[in-house]
Amino acid sequence: MYEQFMGLMYDLLVQTGLMQIWWGNVLMIMVGAGLLYLGIVKKYEPFLLVGIGMACIVANVPGSDLTQPGGLFHYAYAGVQSLIVPPLIFLGIGAMTDFGPMIANPSLVVLGAAAHLGIFVALIGAKLLGFTLAEAGAIGIIGGADGPMAIYMTMKLAPDLLPQISVAAYSYMALMPLIQPPVMRLLTTKEEREIVMEQPRYVSRLEKIVFPIIIAIIVNLFLPPVAPLITMLMLGNLLRESLVVDRLAETASGALLNVITLVLTVAIGSTMNADEFLTVKTLMIVALGLVAFLVGTGSGVVCARIMNKMSGGKINPLIGSAGIASVPIAARVSHVVGLEANRSNFLIMHAMGPNLAGVFGTAISGGIMLALLGAV
Amino acid sequence: MKLPDTMEGALILSVVDFLLCFVFIGAIGGVLALFPWLNRMGEIKETKK
Repeated sequence: MYEQFMGLMYDLLVQTGLMQIWWGNVLMIMVGAGLLYLGIVKKYEPFLLVGIGMACIVANVPGSDLTQPGGLFHYAYAGVQSLIVPPLIFLGIGAMTDFGPMIANPSLVVLGAAAHLGIFVALIGAKLLGFTLAEAGAIGIIGGADGPMAIYMTMKLAPDLLPQISVAAYSYMALMPLIQPPVMRLLTTKEEREIVMEQPRYVSRLEKIVFPIIIAIIVNLFLPPVAPLITMLMLGNLLRESLVVDRLAETASGALLNVITLVLTVAIGSTMNADEFLTVKTLMIVALGLVAFLVGTGSGVVCARIMNKMSGGKINPLIGSAGIASVPIAARVSHVVGLEANRSNFLIMHAMGPNLAGVFGTAISGGIMLALLGAV
Repeated sequence: MKLPDTMEGALILSVVDFLLCFVFIGAIGGVLALFPWLNRMGEIKETKK
């Protein structure tokens, strides 16, 4: 009787997670807790970090069925892998984005290309570390700070690296307020940071309606590999700017985007299982991602400094770092650093121009990469 | 022509991609610079119905 009882107790114990947990799980649970702390207490991009952090914790508690085949997080990840999620995210982002700042000042769009030098520095670094060219391209795209594009490119070029690259991309996007400001302050003078820019011109509703149509045609013609993402971005924007389909625009930018964000963040967090995540490869990818962000921030600021000199002091170099695509996080960082230097300087609308151009910069970089690597 | 999976291929890819990025973005900027002319064609009321 006693032996039977102990046998039953042992069988119960064996099917719990306690028998499978190892120090790697504990470490990753702490990482997940750290992400939750940053999201909830420090309020760094809580819409991203809360879902990622919680799913990371759950993925590292052995025995959780949520991350196993048939579990909800498993299906969420399947949606990411099948490239359904990234275009829907772009639909929602397009429906909540005002491209007026980009249309108003076309000369600033070049910052959306300049700030992407980090992609190629990371690409070369990855090749030096022994990754294949396709893997290096997928790792480099982290520097574009565009989560959906990073996922899209990785599924095309190096699907095995999706967990590491998506976690690095979204984590660094959320931590941009920590990563960018030191580089921005290092590369600019106080006088430059205090520059107040002229008000941008008024952009009419006709221009805002024509913009998504023209861009969709251009991208589909010249960059078909990334056309799905940009087309959905432009469709969402047209829903917003046409002012005749309010319900669709509100749904795309509201409920739909919220649902997709939830799916995406738990999918990404659920991939942070210690067994697959705690590898040297992951550490290299995380390090390369940081290099890409730092170099991209620097190259954007340097380009903006050059434009400032050429324009006779009319451009605040801080907006250069916003050329990294993370909308509107990077623009917000430019604004905050600008406020530190000059309490009456509101850079956000000026920084949104390069920030939005950065989305196209990442798409263009990615599209050319896919075409040159034959991975369309 | 397929790029070789070597450092040389990585350098070629990086240089070509980075430069073409400027070309494409510049072209988009050029198209946007023509947008004020749209307002001469007509206007659409700014407010929702």
